[in-house]
Amino acid sequence: MSDEALPAWSEPFVAERRMDLERQRPLGDLDRAPLFDGADGAGVTVAIIDSGVERDHPAVGGRLIRSVVIELGEDDDEPTVRPDPEALDVVGHGTACAGIIHALAPAADLISVRVLGPDNRGKGAIFAAGLEWAIGEGATVVNLSLSSRSEAMFPIFHDLADRAYFANCLLVSAANNVQGASYPSLFAAVVSVAAHDVADPWTWFYNPAPPVEFGAYGVDVEVAWKGGGRVVATGNSFAAPHIAGLAALIRSRHPAATPFEVKTILAATANRPG
Amino acid sequence: MRSIVEATVTLFDAEAASIALYESALDQLVFAVAAGEQGQGVIGLAIAPDQGIAGYVFTTGQALALSEVERDARFGRGAAEATGYVPRSIVAVPLIDEQGTMGVLEVLDKRSSATFSLRDIELAGVFARQATVAIRASRVERDTVTLLRTSLASLAGSDDQATVERVVQLATADLDGDDDDRLWAIVDRVARLRQADPGELELLAEILEVVARRAERRAEQRRRSGRARAAR
Repeated sequence: MSDEALPAWSEPFVAERRMDLERQRPLGDLDRAPLFDGADGAGVTVAIIDSGVERDHPAVGGRLIRSVVIELGEDDDEPTVRPDPEALDVVGHGTACAGIIHALAPAADLISVRVLGPDNRGKGAIFAAGLEWAIGEGATVVNLSLSSRSEAMFPIFHDLADRAYFANCLLVSAANNVQGASYPSLFAAVVSVAAHDVADPWTWFYNPAPPVEFGAYGVDVEVAWKGGGRVVATGNSFAAPHIAGLAALIRSRHPAATPFEVKTILAATANRPG
Repeated sequence: MRSIVEATVTLFDAEAASIALYESALDQLVFAVAAGEQGQGVIGLAIAPDQGIAGYVFTTGQALALSEVERDARFGRGAAEATGYVPRSIVAVPLIDEQGTMGVLEVLDKRSSATFSLRDIELAGVFARQATVAIRASRVERDTVTLLRTSLASLAGSDDQATVERVVQLATADLDGDDDDRLWAIVDRVARLRQADPGELELLAEILEVVARRAERRAEQRRRSGRARAAR
């Protein structure tokens, strides 16, 4: 698929285009109450693969139970996982995602996997190693507000997306804001998310035309940032953690729900377009 | 590359726009060009490729827009203060092609709005793509010239540098492309626009408007300087 052939991923979710999402729903309109009421994310572990998470940020609510950093070894070959006891966020972006997830699912445990390598070499490998580690650690939901555009990484991420799906681990990935292919956000086993501009974490839309199936709040979102601060942020990066938070709620209320069922519930409880 | 950054500032009506390129020898992102009233201080600034907003966008390829919460601006402060300008809002998009990420395009402080929209991110992406093509082409050109000069020099020996230089110039004279090539490139793109939807056509109209405005401004400047010369 050439870049020219691809639309901007948020396009289906902008106000003037949303009516095109209207359709006959196979499950009708499922009531949200039995699926979400009383859910707080308890028993669910959400891994955030990003720039790190600031453990002491008020928006994280003390729920960060583990923090690791992925680095390339001495010879730049195999990425290694080492603990990050200081729980740093080198940018603020990962803390923003953690804050959004915690606000929706306050009892969910959070794990930070920092994958911004110190140099440009092997960054796709670092990202893949972080994802592999999170799946192996038994994370039930993984938030990926980043993706790789490297064709060389396609088979590796494809394998990891399958592995996560079969390991009962739900991957929620932001579609790239800029047009074009990116992995793993465009794989079928992944919940791929772009932004809409309705200022409400509890408004999400389902797009029956893949690859980007969900639209969530991602425009002018007030988010946590580096140094205990807050900023106003726009991007698909901030839409994905809203869906990750909702998925954590579904998995805490219905621990037996598989990734496929969580995705189905999210589609069947999505807002009617308009 | 410079004209793309200038067009970006005009279109967004922004305080500044800049491009940082990754220099592998330094393992740093270095701001190479900038435009706008507040843009100049950033040129030459080098930052670690995994730090700050530019670093995040470079490392992840994920574009984003940020603005400050009132009285609580935390982003990019260190680097921004080094340039003498602390922005209130920023949009940053990666310069990406199939060969990888080569840098980041940033736009600071849109005058008409306190924040950047998704559409702004998309639009910045269009400019970033143009910049990426231009940079890649200039790198290919530079590499071709260097390779040709080195190979010929090693064949000719050190006593015939002038001949080598003449051959290199002859061989690479057409690398910039001539007007015919440009015309055909435009024709090709117009033909492909048959598949554009209304949103894309609107975007195109906006970009054309920017270019047209620039051309008009330049023509006006030329007329004025012509009149000034005639008056003397």
